[in-house]
Amino acid sequence: MFGLPLAFTIPAVLAALAVLPVLYWLLKMTPPPPTQAVLPTLAIIRDVERKEETPAHTPWWLLLLRLLLAAIVILAMAGPLWNPDVDARAGRGPLLVVMDNSWSAAADWKERTERANALIETAGAAGRPVALRAIADEPVDILPVAAPRAIEQLRSLVPVPHSLDRKRHQASIQSFLESNKEASAIWLTDRVSVLADNNVIADISNAASGRVTVLAPDSSASLGLASVVNAPDALTVRVIRAQTGEAMAGNLKASDSRGRPIAETRFLMPQNAKEVAARFEVPLEIRNDIARIESLERASAGAVLLLDGRNKRKRVGVITGETTDTAQPLLSPAYFIARALGPFADVREAPRGMPDPYGRLLEDGAAVLVLADVGTLTGPTLNRLKDFVEKGGVLIRFASRRVAAPSDALLPVRLRRNERIMGGVLSWDTPRKLASFSTGGPFEGMVLPGDVTVSQQVLAEPDATLPEKTWAALEDGTPLVTGERRGKGHVVLFHVTADTGWSSLPLSVAFVETLRRLTGLAEIMGENPETASQDIVRGETILPPLRNLDGFGAFRAPPVTAEPVKRNHNEPASVKHPPGFYGVAESPLAVNTLAANAELTAVNFSGLAVKPLVAGQAIDLRGMLMSLALLAFLLDALAALWLSGALSRLRPSRAATALLLATVVSALIVAQPAFAQQNTPKPADPVRTDKLPAYRADDIEAALTTRLAYVITGDAAVDETSRLGLQGLSRNLSTRTALDPGEPIGLDISRDELTYYPLLYWPMVAGRNPPPEAAIRRIESYMKGGGTIVFDTRDALNNRGGNATTPETQLMRRILATIDVPDLEAIPKDHVITKTFYILDGFVGRYNTGKTWIEVLQRNQEQDKTRPAQAGDRVSPIIITGNDLAAAWAVDRSGQPRFPLVPGDARQRELAIRGGINIVIYALTGNYKADQVHVPALLERLGQ
Amino acid sequence: MPRLAADARRAAASVNAGVHGRRRIGQGETFWQFRPFVSGEAAARVDWRRSAREDRLHVREREWEAAQSIWLFIDRSLSMDYCSTMAPMAKLERAVVLGLAAADMLVRGGERVGLMGGTPAMASRRIIERLGDALLMQKTLGQKFLKEPLPPRSEALLIGDFIAPLQEIEASLMAIASRGARGHLILVSDPAEELFPFTGQTELIDPEDGFRLRLGEAGGMAETYHARLAAHREGLRSITNRLGWSLTRHVTDRPASEALLRLSMAMTSGGRS
Repeated sequence: MFGLPLAFTIPAVLAALAVLPVLYWLLKMTPPPPTQAVLPTLAIIRDVERKEETPAHTPWWLLLLRLLLAAIVILAMAGPLWNPDVDARAGRGPLLVVMDNSWSAAADWKERTERANALIETAGAAGRPVALRAIADEPVDILPVAAPRAIEQLRSLVPVPHSLDRKRHQASIQSFLESNKEASAIWLTDRVSVLADNNVIADISNAASGRVTVLAPDSSASLGLASVVNAPDALTVRVIRAQTGEAMAGNLKASDSRGRPIAETRFLMPQNAKEVAARFEVPLEIRNDIARIESLERASAGAVLLLDGRNKRKRVGVITGETTDTAQPLLSPAYFIARALGPFADVREAPRGMPDPYGRLLEDGAAVLVLADVGTLTGPTLNRLKDFVEKGGVLIRFASRRVAAPSDALLPVRLRRNERIMGGVLSWDTPRKLASFSTGGPFEGMVLPGDVTVSQQVLAEPDATLPEKTWAALEDGTPLVTGERRGKGHVVLFHVTADTGWSSLPLSVAFVETLRRLTGLAEIMGENPETASQDIVRGETILPPLRNLDGFGAFRAPPVTAEPVKRNHNEPASVKHPPGFYGVAESPLAVNTLAANAELTAVNFSGLAVKPLVAGQAIDLRGMLMSLALLAFLLDALAALWLSGALSRLRPSRAATALLLATVVSALIVAQPAFAQQNTPKPADPVRTDKLPAYRADDIEAALTTRLAYVITGDAAVDETSRLGLQGLSRNLSTRTALDPGEPIGLDISRDELTYYPLLYWPMVAGRNPPPEAAIRRIESYMKGGGTIVFDTRDALNNRGGNATTPETQLMRRILATIDVPDLEAIPKDHVITKTFYILDGFVGRYNTGKTWIEVLQRNQEQDKTRPAQAGDRVSPIIITGNDLAAAWAVDRSGQPRFPLVPGDARQRELAIRGGINIVIYALTGNYKADQVHVPALLERLGQ
Repeated sequence: MPRLAADARRAAASVNAGVHGRRRIGQGETFWQFRPFVSGEAAARVDWRRSAREDRLHVREREWEAAQSIWLFIDRSLSMDYCSTMAPMAKLERAVVLGLAAADMLVRGGERVGLMGGTPAMASRRIIERLGDALLMQKTLGQKFLKEPLPPRSEALLIGDFIAPLQEIEASLMAIASRGARGHLILVSDPAEELFPFTGQTELIDPEDGFRLRLGEAGGMAETYHARLAAHREGLRSITNRLGWSLTRHVTDRPASEALLRLSMAMTSGGRS
């Protein structure tokens, strides 16, 4: 319209624009509300005779605003479309929209559906019925429907992950176009043909005499990954495209079965080439983990290649002629072979004693068969192996110790009847070394190992072809490995055994490398059709779908239409078998979108007018215009307010706020559609909240200062004595020793953390109940964790010996009843605790009659009797005394003793303090002083 | 009200300096002059202390200080509660300030001031507070005039905008003056009332009865308005002149002290002469 890309859905509404002049007149007639003002002196002019009152004119700009508002509303009601799809506007009959929706359309699927949407909307606006046909649909008769219905159909369309044949739809489309002479068709194609249907569009268009418009992207964005070759040095992916043309570069990503990226590589498709090989040069072990290769730039099912066991490791079957009861399985040839092949091949060993090991391994799809200790092959087995080699299998044979040199058709060379032994009794030769790898053979370029010696081997009959069959030779030119190509496969013979009996080759790096290269020669074996059919009968090899790809190449759950595949399934994906993994997760079977030998061809557009797929998108301007009208309405309301003086009555700041608010609101309304589109919710980042609990300040303080601790018994007098006693002891410790303990602390054993305190003083109070079970367990773990508890029963005065026990002792016994207390003894004279600081005879407190008990020392030998100090490996967790130590240590504030002693001599208090110091030092240093007794001997030995 | 009281005090203080006693012989207590005794006078009037100094008899004369009653009335009708954007305060507020300030000034001058229809005349030092409280209590809200005859030898002080038919004003004033009282009028007006600053389409509202006058072009009415206003003022002046009362005009954008000064001059000389 007017040269603008603008169209109206209901152009008739535009006639309403003619009403605008009337509106102009009406608006002019209705003045804005008058300014209101209070005037007290109004009374004096109240009775003035009115003159003719002409209404004030509505200001011209307000008039313009209101007319504009009306015009915008009228325009919006007319349903304006910006960028209407011209292709859908031509013609009057039904419109047929054909969508290519195979995987190759996935790369630009968004543009494709947007364009189709625009087409259908425009056609619907023009009142044309629309038929939508996706080529993945069934080719039934085409029935046009109303545009909204077609848009619904379009929304449910997704690209399918397999290739599609356009030919199926040729008949139905042609008959539709013939029966509806006014109908036109628009084909949104992707330019790619996989199944040789590249002329279908041209054929239909010619038959319909040009009523078909083709919309295609400028060049095909589709890229296919067809097949992968796991060559010895790299994994090679065949990248194909439909159109030759300019050079194309891209990146491929390889990831493992869990989607973790493994490698990326870059490929460059040269000009005018349709395929190129992309190489992943990664170590074999990692390469074997690759389960999925995809194009980073062009996401589609065809640009995803799934790899299964067939692509990864070649299956190697190992057959030995050994008996079941192998005496030394770690020295058997099969073990060496399995270890050497393990990293890069799937080694299957035939169970020994099985009737037909060959058949079993071949059924499993082995690509390489290794025969060790196997003699001559005969009969049906020979024929089967011949067939296997012809088809591309690699047969590796080793010489045998126990069987004479085999002579059958599956040997690269003829062998002499007896082997040569070097260095043996009958030979004067020394063992020979490996000398060379033949150029042109599979071992070309390998580093010669210097450590391979051969002492025994089978010899080939020399003939003219021997040198070219020799792939590895010894110093004297005799062959070590010979091989020959048979059909597609190879027959290889190692002239030594696979164990270390004849040579050191199986211990060498070269062994691994040679086997790896030989494995690389093998082709991937499919299963025999007849054995597969037998398997189906047995119901074993039906693999249900595990994970499938959608058209964009992303994994999804298998669709309901997906059916299981046979184990030997080797077809490209189809509706029934969408691409993806089948079977069990450990060893799935991969079904890919494209066949290994697939070719992409470009759709033939000869004689067709091809228009670009991406046209300007049709934009419905209705919402935008309505927002604009609302904005104008707000402005009008503001203007009316201002004219009537309401705004000036507000304070200026409030007026500005109101104006700003109105502007923001209208701006939001205008911006709303765009905002809604971008408003995709982001998953919130999970915030880790599991932090370590914060350390309490008193814990830090307790851990940083060494201090004596006592157990709070609940008896105030006893607790006070404990505190004062430990205070006195701490004071003596800091004046006499290097230890400067902190202020003593009383602990509630059921609640406080005990770990920080090396020594715990626990006076027993008669008549108290033992602490609860949980507290006792804490005590036990404290004792086992290295702490020392001094139990003080304070009953030495009352304890008359014999069987009678004091209440304090009874309490202690009840506490210790459930604790795993070590055996105790009265402190012997040579115990290290009597030597740790002072040399003491006993530990006295307020009383000097009680005995002090400590864990029994583990005395080692007789000679240790002479040592002055004895110590175990650890500190005794328990010291029991009845002498009321704390009462002897206790001093008041002025430093005077708090309690009188019994019997009460000045020396006794000094000894009590010395005993306390010894106990503390013992708890802190353990058996250190016992080791000190060696010092004189050590000094003597040092020559002093 | 406290703010108005403070304003009133400030205005009274600024005027007080220039106002003194009546400078006339009278019955007051302050000494005025000695004069020779005239025979026939009462002997009690002789000032013996003065007369003892010489051979003549002297009579002490005192200043005329006969305390007069001044009756204040403030128009508190709806039309007074008007404050245009051009004025700092409403007419009513200014009227109250003027009234209280005048009362303060008069009490200091020795007069007694009362509220018409409210308090009796009094000469309290705290006259501003007293009258303020009385104003709050007074029931004359909305009344333009009180037709209450005042006793002779008292003066009325009417503050208001006097927007009323002239006959009505005259009747009221006559009623007040019926027993010989004199009076002073202060006409308080808003600048907007003086200037009539309206243009364009305007709807004017009378605050008294809510009457609305819609004017298509208010500017065209200005001339008529000014003429009418001048006529009204002239009528008012002729009434006061006839009664011998004073009329002071005051516009609220002028300071209150200005009107107060004019009032005091009118009271001391103008009104009395």
